[in-house]
Order: sequence, then structure tokens, then C-alpha cells
Amino acid sequence: MKTNIATSSVKSSAEPETKLHVSAHSISVLEALVFHLIFGLVLGLAVLLAHKFYSINLVSHPSLTLRLIWFFLRVFQVIECPIVILLYSRYRKNREECSYLKAVGRGLLGLPVGRALNRGQTHGSNAENYVIQTVACLPFCYGMRGSKNTHVSKSFLEKLQRALVNALGAVALGAPVGTQYFSKTVNWSLMMSLFTIVPAAAVFGSSWKDWLRIFAHTKPMESVDFMICLPAHGAIIGAWFGAWPMPLDWERPWQEWPTCVSYGAMAGYLLALVASFSFVQAHARFQHVKRD
Amino acid sequence: MSPLTCSKLTLFTVAGVILQTIGLSLFVYGFFPVKPALSGVSGPESFFAPTCNSVRNQSQSDLPPDQLKALYEELSGIPPFDRLVLMVIDGLPAEFVLGKDHQPPPKGLMEAMPYTQSLLANGMAIGYHAKAAPPTVTMPRLKAIVSGAIGGFLDVAFNFNTQALLDDNLLGQFLRTGWKMVMLGDETWLKMFPGLFMRHDGVSSFFVKDTVQVDQNVSRHLVDELSRDDWDLLILHYLGLDHVGHLGGRDSGLMAPKLLEMDEVVKMIHTSIVANQENDQGQTLLVVVSDHGMTDNGNHGGSSYKETDSLALFIGLRNDISDHASDTLDTVYQVDIAPTLALLFGVPIPNNNVGVLILGSFDSFTDDQQLKALELNSWQLLRLLTAQIPGLSCANSPCDGFIDDHGSGKRKCDGSMENVICCLYINATVLHSSWKSMGVSRSNSREDYSSIVAAYYEFLETASEWLSRKVTDKPVDLLAFGVAAMLLSCMVLLSLIFHICKEVYVNEKQHLDLINGMHAWNLDETFILGAISIIIVSMGSSSMVEEEQYIWHFVTSTFDLVLLRKAMKSLLPAEKSFRPYKGPKEIGFQMCSIFVLIVSGRTLRAWHQGGVNWTYLPDISKWLEQGSSNQIKFIQLVSGFLVISLCLFALSLLRSSKKLVLGVGFSFLALGLLVLQHIAIHRENTFVFSSPRATFSVQIIFAILGIATIGTFLAFPWLMPISIREMYATHSDTMSTSVPMEIQNKYSLAELKDSMYVIGWAYMFCWCLLQLLLQQPVNSVPLLLLLVQISAIIVYCSYGGPHQKQWVEIAALYYLGMAGHFALGNSNALATIDVAGAFIGMSSYSTLFSGILMFIITYASPFLFLLSMVVYISVKDTSYIEKPNADSGHHLKIILASPCLVTLGVNSILLTAYTIVLLLMRNHLFVWSVFSPKYLYVCATTVCIYIGLSVVAVTVIYSYLVLSLRKGMQGSSIIDRR
Repeated sequence: MKTNIATSSVKSSAEPETKLHVSAHSISVLEALVFHLIFGLVLGLAVLLAHKFYSINLVSHPSLTLRLIWFFLRVFQVIECPIVILLYSRYRKNREECSYLKAVGRGLLGLPVGRALNRGQTHGSNAENYVIQTVACLPFCYGMRGSKNTHVSKSFLEKLQRALVNALGAVALGAPVGTQYFSKTVNWSLMMSLFTIVPAAAVFGSSWKDWLRIFAHTKPMESVDFMICLPAHGAIIGAWFGAWPMPLDWERPWQEWPTCVSYGAMAGYLLALVASFSFVQAHARFQHVKRD
Repeated sequence: MSPLTCSKLTLFTVAGVILQTIGLSLFVYGFFPVKPALSGVSGPESFFAPTCNSVRNQSQSDLPPDQLKALYEELSGIPPFDRLVLMVIDGLPAEFVLGKDHQPPPKGLMEAMPYTQSLLANGMAIGYHAKAAPPTVTMPRLKAIVSGAIGGFLDVAFNFNTQALLDDNLLGQFLRTGWKMVMLGDETWLKMFPGLFMRHDGVSSFFVKDTVQVDQNVSRHLVDELSRDDWDLLILHYLGLDHVGHLGGRDSGLMAPKLLEMDEVVKMIHTSIVANQENDQGQTLLVVVSDHGMTDNGNHGGSSYKETDSLALFIGLRNDISDHASDTLDTVYQVDIAPTLALLFGVPIPNNNVGVLILGSFDSFTDDQQLKALELNSWQLLRLLTAQIPGLSCANSPCDGFIDDHGSGKRKCDGSMENVICCLYINATVLHSSWKSMGVSRSNSREDYSSIVAAYYEFLETASEWLSRKVTDKPVDLLAFGVAAMLLSCMVLLSLIFHICKEVYVNEKQHLDLINGMHAWNLDETFILGAISIIIVSMGSSSMVEEEQYIWHFVTSTFDLVLLRKAMKSLLPAEKSFRPYKGPKEIGFQMCSIFVLIVSGRTLRAWHQGGVNWTYLPDISKWLEQGSSNQIKFIQLVSGFLVISLCLFALSLLRSSKKLVLGVGFSFLALGLLVLQHIAIHRENTFVFSSPRATFSVQIIFAILGIATIGTFLAFPWLMPISIREMYATHSDTMSTSVPMEIQNKYSLAELKDSMYVIGWAYMFCWCLLQLLLQQPVNSVPLLLLLVQISAIIVYCSYGGPHQKQWVEIAALYYLGMAGHFALGNSNALATIDVAGAFIGMSSYSTLFSGILMFIITYASPFLFLLSMVVYISVKDTSYIEKPNADSGHHLKIILASPCLVTLGVNSILLTAYTIVLLLMRNHLFVWSVFSPKYLYVCATTVCIYIGLSVVAVTVIYSYLVLSLRKGMQGSSIIDRR
């Protein structure tokens, strides 16, 4: 089944590529607004839910931080999955080139396949594909709870791999290493990978060139690029600044390792969402003017 | 902009450095005044006027306690009290008891201390507002109470780890007269006077939230102690009130109950005193003092009125006539408590006391006795003044019998401070001696008496004010000059850096016109600049200063990640940008070296948690120290071996002059093995270096290391083979013979770099071996890691190419050096200085030598990175900024200017910024415990930078000169032959 879908999607995605212009199929402003609102609201809602229903938060229960983040992710998954699928299907109505089933299948299959697919199409970086893959893979990324097929364990490994990059970065910057911190670090980096690597992986797959373009050169060109690049950088920079209060001797529970860094990351992410929306808007207007 | 010539540049740089040094010394002198304190303790001689031939009678001060006590009593002529109860209520503002501005305290507070207020109203007690000197924190204030002296910061700093009070003080004086002492309360007393107390029960002030138990632990012994008669001094130190303040501020609901509790204690003690007095068990004096006040929020440490307003309350003086109610509103100084108590108990006044006795507590004495007390206080202050003002003329006057104008009455005193003090003293003594000579008839001349008292007081207060101002006041003009000079030098250095960068940029443009993306926004450059401002901002926070290792590691590892991003960037060259300058191999090397940097940096961070507040956190060094000493020794040997191999490997990378390098390599190996052998044999016990053989062996190694370093430095440029002949020959065929110098210079630069490479590694190697010997055994691995980091960053830089700005790399070296400084277990507290290591290899104590060793141990890492600058210079490709036809000045400039200037510039920014921070924080609670020690470290870093850079500069210039001299000689010999 895996190979079937892989080959079919290679075929189908290779066809429209040649016809489509890059700028013509950028995401519209309204769609961008919806996306941004959903991302922001889901994050807020997740924290709120954790607070209301599980009555834990990052400050008051430092010992439960680990569990909170886990719940946080779960809430993320539970909420985001249906919404994104909904959004996706709404978005699908406007596009005839790609089939709904194919995209969902790709999403469920997870990224190993997505990467294999993308390897074939690295050269034609196509806005259409960005959007489809973002949307299609988000259910996978955020909603792996819903997928009960055999690929779950594999995609979980994939997820851990991605989290590893964040975890290593955090440890290199001084995150404490030790058995009591292990789960905190893992959970934190899972969250960070949701902010940073997962969206990019969903869109770019293994297109190394695009990865470098976004994360090394910081040169977003499409609306979707902005939507990936800015929030990811915002989350990283927010987390970086979030680490600064840690050595202060205020002896507050939130100064512990993952807490204030997580807060910083979330704040940076939300701010960057706002920024990315305005960029997308400006970009669209610019494109509009250009087309005229 | 015309390019600066080499000599001009040198001149400006040296001027900047000198300006900085001057500014720094002015500031240090102004901010940390060193008071020339008198050493030793006051003895019986303090009961005599200060004389010129101050031959101290040692036999008298060696008397047994009983006889000494009798002697003091006889000499002073003041009948002393027998026992003293000193009750310290931490943080009690005098306002709470005495009110403010001649108004009684608020009703609630009056009612909270009914017994004390009734004592005050009856005249049984006299209370004073005792103004405390900043810093208003407990230990310095207790020292002021018992010694009458206001300590400077450096006095504290130079007593490295000991908190014991070594100056002359009341408790020491009491001990010499055979007193038995009991202390209940804050354990600060036990730290200050270890082993002095017969019985003690220390409570910790650590648990600020505890306001009840901390005082119950003091009071639980009180009934028992009061019933005993085996003590002469009972110290009670109640911390609860301070804790109440910290929790809830002045108006806390817990305040009134706490005051009531204190009042109960006063009542209990006073009742017991009265009972004892009735039973003829001697006179007991109860003195209730507070060490400092508190602000409305309950904090303290600064110099506001509310914080300095502390209490001095004397209960049980023999004055039952309540005609001194007005006295209770007087303001005295906290230091006045010491001379008052000394005179009341008939012991000599501590010799560094700057206080003036509180005359109100002497009311029950006769006029004669009061004047005697004043006279004793004057003599003591005069002795102290003589020590501070070397040429104080009036010190001689008593022994010269200088009483010629005693008929002329009071002289008017003006002129210089010395003259005024002198004249006031003479006025007082003249009046007093005429009073003495009047004999019996004086008893009714009350006016004479009060004029003498006034004269004495004028002298005492002037002298006391002058003395205490000298300790606490900061001369504003000195500080301003210092800061201005530092700012100016900072500006000079920065403008020089700017100039150099611009020049380099112009040269680059000439050479590599293909590079367009050079002046694009570069994250690494921005980050380096941003890091400086982050560090400066963080220095304003006391906890950031305490945990500075966190900041440096965070900054350096972020910088590593930024470099990683940059290296990734060159994998995909952006469109419209310069061509990929580097091949995949270079990028691979760069990435590997960055990963090495990150991993070793993280390991270094984990080696010592360091800091002040986080010392309890587990780290690798603690874990290792738990293991057996053999394991540590094994690790030490292995890392020593790895250091040697790394250095040899680095040497083997040099392609030219193989034979010579082989020789150097062998001597490296021999040296390294010598040190390893020493470690293997003599480091049986980790810290004991007692055996003379070990000491001798260390001394030999010191000598050999020194000879090896200096030998390499001196000899290598001479021995370095010059392969110019053929080059020269081929060139001279095509070129005219009139330009040999240019060609020589062109090639001497390549050879200079080779020789720099070898000399630089020799420096680093010898320094590492020295550190292996001196540092604690657990620090051997961090040393190795530092060397690995240096190698990694040098590999990175050597592949850097032109789009890696030189100043960024040099600043990165500086940052890594500082991060390594903290990774070796240093912090900004003086306590982490490795004092034990400073005595390695010393057969006899020498302050200078152990000071140097201490400096070497503490600044191991920054100095290592400065030495690595020599190797850095050798590997950095500067060909693209070299001008084709240039003189030696230009060559030296492109080689040396950036490394020296950038390091100096970064350091001067940090130094100047921290100076300003310190100035702004002068009233901060932690100015003496956190900010000032940090400033000492910053100053020492500056010294370290100066030394390191001069080593680098001298090495480069010497090698360059030697090589071009040899070139010149060879060139001319070739020309001769032709």
C-alpha cells in the first residue's frame, strides 16, 4: 500500500507541476488568516484546557510539568486533527488537481513516504504542493492519535527523531541532563518540533534545498514559506529569551528548566504568527500589484 | 580616510591602554579606599597620652587576666561595671522605641513595648538613635558595634575566606581581662569569633520565613543563663524581627507581637539584673542594640534614614535621676557604642575605633571621671589619626611639654584639616590640664567643666567625622575622572577597531571584487555585538553576576549554533551572492569543528555548576571527587597524555621545516612525560605537597617549563630554515635587483606564520602542563577540553576565508576564554579562588610568589585563549588584505592590529560598563558581597589581557624582526655572490 500511494502521488503531483506558476497559487489572505487564527487559538485553547480540565499548569505544579506537556500535546492532537481536516476539505473545494484521498493517505502514511515523494520533486517547489502537504501532513503530525494503523509506531519514531534535534540544541545550550530531566526535555522538544520542524517537514519533506533556504538563509519567498519560517524562528527565539530568567534568584517555580523556556517559545510562536500573518498579507498585496 | 601607519596605531593603542590603566587605578582608589588601620590591639599604653617614643611595654600586656584587669581599673580610674548583657535585635529601627523628630512612637508601638517604654520614661534607660554606616547588613554592622571601626571592602576582600574578626575589638579586650562569654542567637557571632564563647547556641538566619522558632531557640536558655553567675558577657541576638520585616515589612501584623516578645525579654533580664544588684552580685548593664533598621518593605542594606536608624539603649546605668529625658532623642553613631562600652567596663578602647563615647551614659560618674573618659577617647583617636596622617604635629606636643599658652584660653581653629584637628586637641588638653591644676576649688566651677567637655567633644567629633568619612565617603572627583578616562580609552580603542575594519574592508574590495555578499547582514556579527550588550545588561543583576557561568556558556553555545547555521548556509549559496568560496571538504571541516566546540563546551559547562547559589547542584567534578583518588589520578594522567598527543599532532600538521619541528616535538614529549611522572609519583594525596622532594621536583619543572617557553620563543625564529634561495633566485632573474626587500618581506610572512604556529603551540603546551601541575586534579579534563576547543576554533578559522570577519573570531576567542574561566570552577565570589594550589612548589611562604601562582591558576583559561591568539594569527589567511608592495609596518599591522585591538576593545567595553554598573549599584544591598568581588575579577581580567596581549605582540614582533633580519643577511649574501 505504501509503495502504491507513493508512486501514484509521484505521478499525480508531477503532472500539475509543470502547468502551475509559483506565485499564482499562493495562499489567499483569508485562508492565511484562518490558518493563523487556528494555530494561535489551538495553542491557547490547549493551555486553557490543560488548566481547566486537568487543573495543572506550568507554574503551580512544577513536579507535574512533565505530565502537563504531555497532556498539552495530547490536547493539541485532539483538537487540531479535526479542525485541520475540516479546513483542508474546505480548501480542497477550490483545487481539482489533487485528490482528497491521496493527501489524507499521505498524511496518514507519515513523512518517510512524504520524503520519498518529495525527493522526486525537489526542483519544482510548488505552492500548491506546499499547501497540500502542510494541510495533509498536519493531521498526521498533530493527530497521530486518530491513526491506528501500523505506521503509528514508525511515525512516532520519526517524531522522536525530530524532537532529538531540538533536544540536542537545548542540551547544547545548557539544559540539564539527568534522569529526572529526561522526560521533561523530551516533552519540551516534542512541543518545539511541533512549532519548528514538523510544519517544515510536512511541506518540504526531504527537499534539503528548501530547508536550507528557510532555516539557514532565512529567505522565505512564498506565503507558505512565511507561515513556516516566521513561527519556527519565533518559537526558537522566544525559547532562547525564555531561558534568561532562569539564573535569577527569585526562587519561583517557573524558573525551572522547561517551564519558562516553554512559555518563551509559546509567546514567541504567537507573536511570530501575528508577524507571519502580516507578512503573508503584505506578500499577497505585493503579488497582486505585481500581477497588475 | 587615510590609513593609519603602524607606529601611529601603536601609539594610539598604547595611549588608550595607559589611559585605561590610569582611569582604573583612580576608580579603584576612589571606590575602595584602603584605610591604614593600626595593627595589634590596645593595651595598657592606651591609658597614657600618646608619646613620641612609644615604646610599648610588652610585659604589661602579657600579664595574666586578673592582674591586667586590676591594672586597667587602676589606670582608668573609672569604676567599671561587672557584667554586660548585650541584646541585639536584628533590624529593629530605633523609631519603634524612641520615636522620630521628638515625637514618641505611634501608640501601637508604645503599647507593644510597655516595659521598655516605662524604663525610658523613668530614666532607668537611655536610648539613642545610633546611625549605622552602609552597608546595612548584619555582619559589617556587628563588627562596627564591637570594634568601633568602619571596615572598607578591601579589608574584607583580603581576608579571603575567613569571616573572623581579626581587628582589635571589645570581645577580644574582654577576653584578655579574663571574661567568660556566652552567646545565644545568630551564628554570625560564631563565625566572627570562633572558639571565643564558653557556651553558645547559634541559630541560622537562613530560614527567613521562620519568625517564631528562631527567637524561641534563643530565649529557651535565657532563664537558665540569667540564674547562672559564671559568665561576664551574655550576647543575645534575636533574628525574628528582621525576618518579620522581610516577610511583611514595617507594618506587618506580626510586628507588634514580636516587639512584645522582645519587651518580655528586656523585662526578664532587667528584673534579674535588679535582683542581682540587690543581692550584691555586682553591677550588670543591659545594652539593647539593633544592627540596622529597615525600609517600609522590610529590606535593608542601603543608606536611607530608615535603614541606618538603629537603636542603642542602655538599661541599668546608675543614673536614677530622670533629668536626661531629652538625651534619649539624641542621635549618635553606631560606632560610638564600642568606646562607650570599653570605658564603662574599664578596658582599652579598640585601637581602630572611630567612635566617640556617649557622655549620657556616664552621668552617674564624677566630673573627673567623665573628663578622664573623654581624655582616654581623645588619646585613642589621636593615635589613630597619627597613623592616618603621618605628619600630625600635635602628636608630639604632649611629650614636648607644649603647654605654653594655657593662659590665653581657647584658640580659634582654622586652616587645613590637620591644623584644625591639632588645634582642637590642644585646646581641650590645655583646658583639661588647667582644670586639673585648679585642685579642690574646681568643684563649683560647673562652667569650666562644661567648656572642657565642649572642647573635647569638638575635637572628638571632628576627628571621628574625618576618620569615618575617609572610610565611607567616595571622592567624587576621583571616581568621575576614573570613569571619564575609561570611557575615553574605550572610545579610542573602538574608533581604532572601526578604522582597522574599514581599512581591511577597503583592501578586501581591492582584492576580491567578486564578493558582493560581504556586507550583507550577518547573523554572527550581529550576535557578537548583541552578546556584549546582553552581558552588560546582565551585569546589573546581582544573581546574574553570581551565576555568570550560565551567561557565558549560553552566549558561547548560541554563537556555536549561529556558526553552524552559517556553515550550513554555505552549503546552498544564495543567488546573486558570491560564488561558493569553499568546497565541501572545507565546510565539512568547519561543521566538525563546530560540533566539537558544542560538545566540549557543554561538557565544560557540566564540569562545574559553579556560581554562588547553585553550588549544591550535582556536577561532574563533585561526582569525580566522590570517587577514589586513584581514579582521579588516572583521569589526570590520561588527560595529560591526551594534551601531549594533541599538541604533537598539531605540530605534525606543519608541512615545512620537518626536522626542526621534530626536535620541538621531542622536547614537548620529554617535558610532558616529566610532568606526568611528577603527577604519578607525587600526587598521592590530592592536596598535600608537604614532602620536600615533591616541592623540589615542582620547582625544577617550573624552571624547565620557563626555559622551554622562553627558549622556543628566542631560538625558533633563528633556527627556522629559510627556503628563500630558490624563490629568490627565480624571482631575481625576472625582476630587477633593486627590489629585493619586497620579495623578502613577501616570503618572510609565510615563514613568520610557520614560526608563529610552532611558538604558539609551545606556549599553549607549556601553559597546559603548568596548569596540570597547579590546578586541582579534577580540572585536568576541562583543561584538555579547553585545548580541544582552541584547536577546533582554530580549524574553523583557518577555513573561514574572507567572509568570516576577523574581529568576530577574535571576540569569539575572548568569549570562549571567559566561558572556560567559569568552567574551571571559578565564580565571581572570592571564595572559589584556589588558595591551596597557590602553595605548590613553595618551600617558604612568599606573598608575591603565591599571589602570582594564584593568578595563574585563576586565569588559566583566558590566558590560554590569549596565547592561542599566536596560533590563530599563524593560521588566519590574511593574503587578501595584504598590499602587494608594503613595508614591514603594514605587515605587522595586518597581522597584529586586529587581534590586539579587538581583545582590548571588548575588554574595555566590559570593564567600563561594569565600572558604571558598580557606581550605580553603590547603595545596593549586595554591593560588597556580589558586585565588588566581581569588580576585582574584572580588574584582574584586564591585567590578564594586558599581559597576554603583550606576550602575543612581543612574540610576533620579535619573530618578524629576526626573520626579516635573516632574510636581509641571506639576500645580501646572495647578491654578493652574484
